[in-house]
Amino acid sequence: MGNEEVQENSPSVEDATPFDCSHCLRLSAQDWFIVAIVLLTLIGAASPAWEYIEPLATDNDYRIPYALSSDYWLYGRYCRRRCNQGKILVIGDSVVWGHYVPPEETLAHYLNEFSATTRFANLGLDGTHPAALEGLLRYYGWSLVGRTVVLQFNPLWLTSAKHDLQTDKEFHFNHPELVSQFGPKIPCYKAPFAKRLRIAVGRTIPFSNWTAHLRTTYYHNMDLQTWTLEHSYRNPLAPLTAGLPKPGGIPEPFSGTWVEKGAKKQNLAWVSLDGSLQWQFFGRSIKLLQDRACEVFVLVGPFNEHMLNTPDAAQYDAIKRQAADWLEKHGIPYFVPESLPAEHYVDASHPIGAGYALLARQILKHPSFAALGKQ
Amino acid sequence: MLFQTWPFLAFFAVVYPVYLLTKGTRLRLPWLLAASYFFYAWLSPLYLIPLAYATVVDYFVAGRIEKGLHKKAWLFVSIANNVTVLAFFKYAGFIAENINALLSSVQAPYVVPAPGFLLPAGLSFYLLQSIGYTIDVYRGTAKRETSFLAYAAFVSFFPRLLAGPIERANHLLPQLRTGPRVSARQFTDGLSIFVVGYFKKVALADYLALYVGKVYGAPEEFHSAALLLATFLFAWQIYFDFSGYTDMARGVARMMGIRLMLNFDNPYLAVSMGDFWRRWHISLSSWFRDYVYIPLGGNRKGKPATYRNIFVTMVLSGLWHGAAWTFVLWGAVHATGNLATREMERTPLYVRRVPKLVKQLFVFALVMLAWIFFRAESIGDAWTIVVRIFTSGLADPHCPLLALALIAAVWCYQHLVESRVRWLLELRVVRIVLMILMLSYLVLTISAKGQPFIYMQF
Repeated sequence: MGNEEVQENSPSVEDATPFDCSHCLRLSAQDWFIVAIVLLTLIGAASPAWEYIEPLATDNDYRIPYALSSDYWLYGRYCRRRCNQGKILVIGDSVVWGHYVPPEETLAHYLNEFSATTRFANLGLDGTHPAALEGLLRYYGWSLVGRTVVLQFNPLWLTSAKHDLQTDKEFHFNHPELVSQFGPKIPCYKAPFAKRLRIAVGRTIPFSNWTAHLRTTYYHNMDLQTWTLEHSYRNPLAPLTAGLPKPGGIPEPFSGTWVEKGAKKQNLAWVSLDGSLQWQFFGRSIKLLQDRACEVFVLVGPFNEHMLNTPDAAQYDAIKRQAADWLEKHGIPYFVPESLPAEHYVDASHPIGAGYALLARQILKHPSFAALGKQ
Repeated sequence: MLFQTWPFLAFFAVVYPVYLLTKGTRLRLPWLLAASYFFYAWLSPLYLIPLAYATVVDYFVAGRIEKGLHKKAWLFVSIANNVTVLAFFKYAGFIAENINALLSSVQAPYVVPAPGFLLPAGLSFYLLQSIGYTIDVYRGTAKRETSFLAYAAFVSFFPRLLAGPIERANHLLPQLRTGPRVSARQFTDGLSIFVVGYFKKVALADYLALYVGKVYGAPEEFHSAALLLATFLFAWQIYFDFSGYTDMARGVARMMGIRLMLNFDNPYLAVSMGDFWRRWHISLSSWFRDYVYIPLGGNRKGKPATYRNIFVTMVLSGLWHGAAWTFVLWGAVHATGNLATREMERTPLYVRRVPKLVKQLFVFALVMLAWIFFRAESIGDAWTIVVRIFTSGLADPHCPLLALALIAAVWCYQHLVESRVRWLLELRVVRIVLMILMLSYLVLTISAKGQPFIYMQF
């Protein structure tokens, strides 16, 4: 190795050297300070200002429009509004959201109707398996402090290692932007480090979530550049109408119950509750809400037990018992509903409107549910 | 690791403060070297093998050259070694493919197996830099670097490792050897250069790539206007992509107190092909000028020899870009254009009567034609595109107006930079407003996914 000679260049020589660039955008420290102030103002003010510009009309049966299921900024905004209104928030996946029913036939609607109140709000979001739900509550449900929450767990996520996200082979599941990026590890999630880092940082920045909202809501889930490819001659600002899509409508037209569709009984490869990743994430969601001083009531189900063959049904019973024991042990009020009639299910877990009505009646009769929100 | 990604931001957030803390100490070079190797290994740890190998060999060879015994032989060892490494990783597949085509044409019952080597990113850049160093030491125009650390840092200096600029020993080594002074001015200059590069890459190059990729992915499905516009957009895409990379590299280096050479100087304002190559990828064109064109005889041996030398240099430059006949043709088109504009510049009519803007547009058209061969997947595709541009009629190209507007804005800006009203752009308020506009556009519209740079593959 040779000797390294340490010298300092003359400051005057350094500062006198030219910019040697093919443009003139040379900014001094003072210039950068001005740029930073303007940008920080833009970044800080854009999202709150937009809330004034973009009306969010939320009637009692409002739910996040299906097309905006990945608009987490909107979810956060809606969640905040419901919290401010003092509602009991019914949170869960498409079963709570009401995948096959209109807004006025969902669980939250019937809870309101049969309790003759407007206390319950539908905070379901399509496709939010427990791993995603945990992220949704952590990063976008920060207004959930000191609130009452009905948290649904769908046993569907335990019906196979794939649903439980445990396969080593890559599996593209819903809402990857919501799941834990660096730990706990999700074996089937194989996103590269750069993407994980981008997601992990991006979701903590409200401005970044707001720009994602604009993309999702006004640019068909595309960035502006991709959008202009499909709308070559349109004014790129034209879609920014500040009008949210109406929440009505159902993503899939009802085409009969599972019985009418002739679906057969199934053999499922249940995952044990102890080893379940999804259940682990569900537990983290409960802990998160409790840490935020929320009162949590857990709803395990509904699940279409009529679809199960006898050995599977026994396994499912065991899982229900295990879940009940776990919730009991942790002092969390819960309810595991009786199976609804077979003709009240569209598939393995989604009820039809009558099923939701029946489920709501069952829940409202439950003693610990009756005490909810009165502490 | 790509400059425009979060991992680089995290990397630089760690490397830079430590670099500043160690800059006056003997730990500076080891830290810089470790950072550079980590930066490179991020893409693949295997990439470190040829990098370290080339570094060790040329460090040793330069020592032998300096001693003066069998200088020429040692220079040959260095060049042969670097060219072999390059051929091994970059051209083995191309050579095997062509041998197989030849064997097949004579119906020989033998197939040369195509090697499955991964081409290390930036290999062509650092090998050329290394060759340049040993030639300079041989010629006596550069002093042999005695510190292995300084030399290793020179070859692997991370801001320029993946796609240049291809630095000269005389320019970069002294800066690495001595402790650079990092002033606030250097930091803000570096930041300014970096942000402009980031904008070029993320807001412009990656945007234009969407349309270009669509059209060039299936040229037979598009008509004349779309193909022409895609070629036009590609000309700008590759400029924004590569010059954006260089700007970011130079910006990062400047923040560290190190000046890398200017690599692009508004090339689409060139008035001749010679002028174009004085503005485009300056570090490469000057490398080929100094180490290929001039040793071949340059323009000293009459017109035919000069033209031959230009042709050989341009074709070699094409081949340097990629192991495919499309790149050879690209070089040949540039050589032909170079000779043509060279001749035209000798006619008084062209020099005096043809307006500058017409010359610029003519050169741009020639460069665009050459880009077709550069971008096309194969010569067949390139030919399809050329033919269809002239024969397939004018269907609606559905080219985004926003893309064209952004290009027009840049083109106007560049014209102003080289005009008498440059002072307008130098006004403080203009500089600040432009920077705010660029950054606002970036933060509002871009969901940075970190698309790789085109030139990294070379």
